[in-house]
Amino acid sequence: MMNKLFPLLAVGLILNTAQAQTKFTLNGTVKDKKTGETLIGVAVYVKEISGTGTSSNEYGFYSLTLPQGKYHVISNYVGYKADTVVVNLTANTKLDRSLSENTSQLKEVVVSNKRKDDNLRKTEIGVEKLDIKEIEKIPIIFGEKDILKTIQLLPGVKSAGEGNSGFFVRGGSADQNLILLDEAPVYNASHLLGFFSTFNSDALKDVSIIKGNSPAQYGGRLSSVLDVKMKEGNNQGYNVTGGLGLISSRLSVEGPIQKDKSSFIVSGRRTYADVFLKATDDFKDNSLYFYDLNAKANYRINEKNRIYASGYFGRDVLGFGDNFGIDWGNTTATVRWNSIISPKLFSNTSFIYSNYDYNIKINSGGTDFNINSQIKDWNLKQEFQFFPNAKNSWRFGFNSIHHNITPSRFEGDNITAEEKESRYSLENAVFANNTMKLSNRFTLDYGLRFSFYTILGGDKYNIYDKGKLTDSVVLASGDFGKTYYNLEPRMQFSYLLNDVSSIKGGYARNTQHLHLLSNSTSSTPTDQWIGNSYNIKPEISDQMSIGYFRNFSDNRFQFSVEGYYKHMQNQVDYKDGADINSAPDIERELLYGIGRAYGVELLLKKTEGKFTGWVGYTLSRTERKIDGINNNEWYAARQDRTHDLSVVGMYQLTKRWSLSGLFVYNTGNAVTFPSGKYNVGGNTTYYYTERNGYRMPAYHRFDIGATYTKPHKKRFESSWNFSVYNVYGRENAYTITFEDHPDDPTRTRAIQTSLFRWVPSITYNFKF
Amino acid sequence: MRNILLALAVLTFASCEKEIEIDLNSTDPKVVIEGNITNNPGPHYVRISKTVNFSETNNYPPVTGALVIITDNTGVTDTLTEATPGMYRTNKIIGTPGNTYTLTVSSEGKDYRAVSTMPQLVSLDSVRFNIFSGPLGGNGDAYTVIPVFTDPSVFGNSYRFIQTVNGEEDKSYIVFNDNVNNGSVNQRPIFSPDAEINTGDTVSIEMRCIDNIAYTYFYTLSQIAGGGPGGGTTPSNPPNNITGNYALGLFTAYTSQKRTEVVK
Repeated sequence: MMNKLFPLLAVGLILNTAQAQTKFTLNGTVKDKKTGETLIGVAVYVKEISGTGTSSNEYGFYSLTLPQGKYHVISNYVGYKADTVVVNLTANTKLDRSLSENTSQLKEVVVSNKRKDDNLRKTEIGVEKLDIKEIEKIPIIFGEKDILKTIQLLPGVKSAGEGNSGFFVRGGSADQNLILLDEAPVYNASHLLGFFSTFNSDALKDVSIIKGNSPAQYGGRLSSVLDVKMKEGNNQGYNVTGGLGLISSRLSVEGPIQKDKSSFIVSGRRTYADVFLKATDDFKDNSLYFYDLNAKANYRINEKNRIYASGYFGRDVLGFGDNFGIDWGNTTATVRWNSIISPKLFSNTSFIYSNYDYNIKINSGGTDFNINSQIKDWNLKQEFQFFPNAKNSWRFGFNSIHHNITPSRFEGDNITAEEKESRYSLENAVFANNTMKLSNRFTLDYGLRFSFYTILGGDKYNIYDKGKLTDSVVLASGDFGKTYYNLEPRMQFSYLLNDVSSIKGGYARNTQHLHLLSNSTSSTPTDQWIGNSYNIKPEISDQMSIGYFRNFSDNRFQFSVEGYYKHMQNQVDYKDGADINSAPDIERELLYGIGRAYGVELLLKKTEGKFTGWVGYTLSRTERKIDGINNNEWYAARQDRTHDLSVVGMYQLTKRWSLSGLFVYNTGNAVTFPSGKYNVGGNTTYYYTERNGYRMPAYHRFDIGATYTKPHKKRFESSWNFSVYNVYGRENAYTITFEDHPDDPTRTRAIQTSLFRWVPSITYNFKF
Repeated sequence: MRNILLALAVLTFASCEKEIEIDLNSTDPKVVIEGNITNNPGPHYVRISKTVNFSETNNYPPVTGALVIITDNTGVTDTLTEATPGMYRTNKIIGTPGNTYTLTVSSEGKDYRAVSTMPQLVSLDSVRFNIFSGPLGGNGDAYTVIPVFTDPSVFGNSYRFIQTVNGEEDKSYIVFNDNVNNGSVNQRPIFSPDAEINTGDTVSIEMRCIDNIAYTYFYTLSQIAGGGPGGGTTPSNPPNNITGNYALGLFTAYTSQKRTEVVK
């Protein structure tokens, strides 16, 4: 496939560049002066030609082709001092820049925004970036700074539940988010039943979320891409960073292996709730903890080639005496090779491994058995970035993933169960994307992704019609089964109305070949992944977005309003009464249907000054229509929340003290409550009418935080972070259950369980 | 599994429970048919009632004057007698493993039909007690019960267990099938969040061999009972075997055996 596409693209590229004037290319890498970390998204432009510029890519590389001449080249990155250098461009020139952090006291309270009005110019719609430093200021439950909880404060992104790191984007379900850690998909991004995310902020460099209108290099999930990049490690000097919290402690060490050439970072985190559990009589035999380990190293082979290796390993362990234990976790590993093939052509090759598995161990009467499931990927990604001229940039390449999915199965000494084989498949994609500045006002970004998913042999595939077995296909190992082909066009544009406002629009089709089966209203580690089969078809979404962006007061305030409509096909759900753990073939238990989601998102941000923060509001609707559920009629999806409001404020009180506050309000989830009751076998049983026809009570809470930064002592920096979650003690409903009244058997009652009220936390952070 | 995890979550973090008022919709009363045939001596009963709204008291209006007939595949036809309002009693039909029973109900101008085959009896050989320090801590050593029986080698057996501790019946729905461990001696304990068994307790276990639809029915109820909205499975009415007109409930033919032991 690549062989055919490549010449085609090459022709296009040559046409693009065939211009008469003598031009030369300026290229290089932009870094942080102090740490040597490459900087992502630095605006690089020249004073002489307005409207000409580029920004550094995810590896800090930029390329800018200009007519011969003398230029003031400006590199600009918020939080850093602007850097200007005069270049006499008479040949292709390599120009690496190192930027110094702006040391004024306001540096840490700047909300991420690379160039002040980038938000207007960039075509990307529905994209938000998080500043890792900013996250530290926002109060978070248990004082554990957490990117997944912070992105939930953005419009269009909704929390999966109280204190939960799971999230829903624009009406998508939790499995429709592509969560990438250094390009490796993370299949379960939560610890401890979702209360913590797998991301240890100390090890992270950059986080961005794309809410559905992703460029062609991303694919495989319907709703969003959460792209998380790990730090490279300081290549100038050694640093130790750490934190002590109520729930966990963190420690990171980074430094050069060879100054300027190579560096490493190792970052670990572990909870210690189990230490307290052990101290109690009731829990002394129990274990409950998780840990994370992030590690990364990079090596610059020469001016043009660089290699990165990064890995993540995390595990949750729960155990009750000798009888019952469950552990689960992710492992990812990424090896990347950056190569500057020419001043205009940048290449990245990634070889990626990801794994998620869980294992439940049960000992009963001296017999051990376990239930386990696994998903394991080998993934090769090749991407080229080509910068033919100052108005054009291309990305093209391919991605090939080999999946090995072991369905949930029982194993043990004396266990006989219908053998459930691992299933193999190949998920491929070829993509090309072009960003084109058509004029100083109009930028267009368009692309195409061609994805094809092939079932590989080694198992028997049953074909069902409405739950009845009609046929089956036995694929021998090495055979190729059914292949699903999908074309995914993507397009987005921005049009600058004037210096302070723009409109943007986009359309994207996304497909998804892996599906998470969950019969639960909240995600658990035992939810299982399943690939396309002869019954399960690729999920498809088509999303249209339109937005208006406006900046006020010299870009200090940024306002945006975005509307979207999304249609989803081939959605998968369990049928009523599905046997999820032990069914011989889970596919018999599935139903299929469509979904739709639409809404308006408003965001007002203040990005500079002593007071910063944002107000985000979403008005939306999310529905599903599944054959076999709710009499085949539309119903509100669980994550349908009409109103969703977040207010985040941060205030730099003095040089040492900063304060923060956070208020969230949302309509309760759509839930199924009984409309009647009856008696079966002496037990009260509830009668249900429509699916998700009721609402949980509205959710709201207010959190506050304060950070005290101690004066530096030589190299030693430290800070104390205090926060209170749910200050006014709102009893937000976590579950509502129905039961017989214990004192009056003639009555039934509804019981609401609430989790967190007034949760105070203290965290101590240090760096030296 | 999910129940255990949820219980743990609630327990681990400070939580509070309170009774709340919810304005639930009213619904037209629906017919509920619950019929059982067992291998024990009759009579057997079919109960017909109607649903009430959630806010009402647990008095379920009986459906009287229905014509209720049970036939089997050997040609026996038994027209049931209404013993008390809504409670219909068999007169002669005998529950025999392997036989198929058909229930027909005519009531208020509507007909209902349900079919159930009584599985062959699988012998409950004994019960064992197994020390289990459960996820909820418990005080000291708690026990779980392992019903000891040998699953027949033919695939497709389902079981329901009713556990009674010191005379108090455990309301949990406990069902097993042979998707796992077909044809071997059972090793699985009965996990019940509602019962705690300690030394000296008298435990009785009733084992019922049930058909597949009954398994699905009680399995669905067991899943719903787990956490309710917010934590557990999205609740739904359990699929049943009643056809003709819409009715809740289940008609099931099952074998029943009971063993009672004291935990030592």
